[in-house]
Amino acid sequence: MTVLKPEQAASREYQAGFVTDIESDTLPPGLNEDVIRHISAKKDEPEWLLEWRLEAFRHWQTMSEPRWAAVDYPPIDYQAISYYSAPKSKEDGPKSLDEVDPKLLETYEKLGIPLREQEMLAGVAVDAVFDSVSVATTFREKLAEAGVIFCPISEAVREYPELVRQYLGSVVPTGDNFFAALNSAVFTDGSFVYIPKGVRCPMELSTYFRINASNTGQFERTLIIADEGAYVSYLEGCTAPQRDENQLHAAVVELVALDDAQIKYSTVQNWYPGDENGVGGIYNFVTKRADCRGKRSKVSWTQVETGSAITWKYPSCILRGDDSVGEFYSVALTKMHQQADTGTKMIHLGRNTRSTIVSKGIAAGYGQQSYRGLVRIGKDAHGARNYTQCDSLLIGDRCGAHTFPYVEVKNPSAVVEHEATTSKIGEDQLFYCRARGVPEEDAVNLIVNGFCKDVFNELPMEFAVEANRLMEVSLEGAVG
Amino acid sequence: MSLSIEQLRAQARDAFARHGVPTRRLEHWKYTDVKRALAPLADNLLELPSDPMPVDALGDELSIAGLDAWRIVIADGVVLSLPDDPPQGVHVASLAGQLHAQPEQGVAALHFDEQAPLFNGLVALNAALAGDGIVIRLEDGVRLDKPLYLLHLSRGKAVHIRHRIQLGRHAEATVIEHYAGMDAGLSNVISRLHLAEGARLHHVRVQQEAVGRTHIGRVEAELERHSQFVSHSVALGASLSRVDIVAELRGPGADCRLDGLYLTNGRQHADHHTVIAHRAPHCRSREMYRGVLDGRSRAVFNGRVVVHEGAVKTDSAQSNANLLLSGRAEVDTKPELEIYNDDVKCAHGATIGQLDENQLFYLKSRGLAHEEARQLLTFAFADEVLTGIAVPALRRHIEHAAFSKLPHGEDIEGMLAGHDGTGEMA
Repeated sequence: MTVLKPEQAASREYQAGFVTDIESDTLPPGLNEDVIRHISAKKDEPEWLLEWRLEAFRHWQTMSEPRWAAVDYPPIDYQAISYYSAPKSKEDGPKSLDEVDPKLLETYEKLGIPLREQEMLAGVAVDAVFDSVSVATTFREKLAEAGVIFCPISEAVREYPELVRQYLGSVVPTGDNFFAALNSAVFTDGSFVYIPKGVRCPMELSTYFRINASNTGQFERTLIIADEGAYVSYLEGCTAPQRDENQLHAAVVELVALDDAQIKYSTVQNWYPGDENGVGGIYNFVTKRADCRGKRSKVSWTQVETGSAITWKYPSCILRGDDSVGEFYSVALTKMHQQADTGTKMIHLGRNTRSTIVSKGIAAGYGQQSYRGLVRIGKDAHGARNYTQCDSLLIGDRCGAHTFPYVEVKNPSAVVEHEATTSKIGEDQLFYCRARGVPEEDAVNLIVNGFCKDVFNELPMEFAVEANRLMEVSLEGAVG
Repeated sequence: MSLSIEQLRAQARDAFARHGVPTRRLEHWKYTDVKRALAPLADNLLELPSDPMPVDALGDELSIAGLDAWRIVIADGVVLSLPDDPPQGVHVASLAGQLHAQPEQGVAALHFDEQAPLFNGLVALNAALAGDGIVIRLEDGVRLDKPLYLLHLSRGKAVHIRHRIQLGRHAEATVIEHYAGMDAGLSNVISRLHLAEGARLHHVRVQQEAVGRTHIGRVEAELERHSQFVSHSVALGASLSRVDIVAELRGPGADCRLDGLYLTNGRQHADHHTVIAHRAPHCRSREMYRGVLDGRSRAVFNGRVVVHEGAVKTDSAQSNANLLLSGRAEVDTKPELEIYNDDVKCAHGATIGQLDENQLFYLKSRGLAHEEARQLLTFAFADEVLTGIAVPALRRHIEHAAFSKLPHGEDIEGMLAGHDGTGEMA
């Protein structure tokens, strides 16, 4: 009798027969190499991508979940999650707005969302006319004219394999961190954007309009490449609370900016934060990173984070090219029992690289909020410059706001400045407003919006208006 | 206290066996490789210390010149002499003497807390091996008329010292801990301070150990109601130094100021970790740390301010500024804020950069050469930390040591001395 070595035993599972029915729509919970093969086969992926996924999975098995973040949650059973389910058919959703939770509708109303969009967000089966003709198609034509590729990543794997192969995992390697490795192994969808040389993308790209792929699932993978001299502004998410059944979200976003290219990436995240007692809610464990590979390239991250029970997110810039610029503007709001550990990393490698970090945190109720950032100036980053400002506003005596900035400097010509303040809403400011007849809640909104102004100014205009309203709605009841 | 000294030592040895020398895998040691620095000693860290060195005239030679103080010399971790006639209400004893005469109090002085912030194996090692140190108690209302000066001379391989200083209500004192180790080895010192209501303590650490030596220091201060604590930590010597300062503001209205200066060159490594824990309402804390780095040296600053629930009306400000003089120096700084309460005013800042061009221009327009102007500004940058030191001889001593570490510092010192003497520029 021969004893199998571990690696033989592992491969035997496969030899024994790949029996999972390829036509089935939902996989049973659990994660092993067969599940990954199934996902890959479902997506009709080339061999190299399957290998890439398997490599990520094998690495993931050797890793342990990060515990350093200042967030608290029960252990996640990764074998209890189903890693593939085909997009739900429209018939399962509510038939009309009458069947939708009235609380949700009330929120849409306050945010001023048009009826059509309300239906879409609530998962109502939208009629075909709206779905295919009005927005999506016209946009696609316009983009194709400019030579911009904007499609689901699974489509890109088939249509533009050489581009995907060249850039996928080049910014966030498969073994980068626990959640990124998991994502690499099992990602099911996401966006792919390629802006050719010298092209300024004619419109703001938004996942919101990519209707055919609105059920992106919990392991989203986004890859954006701006070739030399290109410009793109990309919007992710939307202000309205989204219905979502998955608790764990582990997305990966990779941005690549070549010489003179610019990418502006804006996020508004408002997933379900759990109820008043902190039950339920989305875990948002995201890896976002930009590689400013080219000279004079620029990447700007702007985020408004109001949703999710737990946020674990550090959009970063690797400033590799000389004179490249990285920016990070963030507003994060935690209320009820929400927890957020978010911030950024600016890794200065090239000469005269510059970065700006503006982070505004608001904690209310029992919310816990941390800014965690890293500014690293490498040995050769002559003339590098960083300015960091992170302010926290506290509303209520049960919340917490924390700041953990890491600054590592290896070059004497660098100038790095970090400033942080934490305080409660100014009593004199509140008093001033109230003395002029502004109700307390409106006064708080006014002050909070002023506090966030530096960040909202960076948002595309229509987003900025919505973001203001979003803050108002989110803060409702948090004061007093 | 139910533990006997033997039990405490055994417990501490167990704790050291569990934790070991900190490695870079620990968050609070990620920039400081103390394990490598202590590698030559690794096998005999638990050995009992050897006999103390002969001191003779060394004590006078290495003392701070012109300092009028109650001097206590500690050689290789052994207290050589105590003041003959301390003022009324001041009780000075050696830990060794106390362990012999009143073991219970000795155990209390050696107490270690595994739950403490920044706890590590070196604290346990200290508790296991520290055989001596100074135990000082000031009765209520007693003001020490001159500073208490603890001169530490070390030549031994590994020296573990434990000090305990207790100030009664409204008592006042200045304590200077001066470290002048002469050979390679380890100095591992813990000072535990307690300030009763309204007490005022100025605590100055001057670390001038020889290059080649590893210096591990730890200061734990407990502040009761309306007490005031001022700490200066000056790191000039040693190949690797790591100083942890923990201030617990436990009574309302307590006030704490932590200042520090590190000047490094060659391959020196200086690390400061501070924690200010606001546990009571209406407390105030200020912190300023500055560093000047030359050669291939490296400095680490980690300043943590924690405002606990209930510590309302907290007012806290912290700053850390660094000057890099060389392309091969490195600084890693991390000013942290952790706040669990909304009625606070907290700020912190950190900067790393060069001298202000405008200031340079101003001095040059007044006739100073470029290099002179640079050196003057570098000195001024460092000297600002020392403004809170009210003992002139001590300040002069530190300034002189700082000058001799800065490039061409002697020239500037001469220039300033001329200025002092005549009221005019030399």
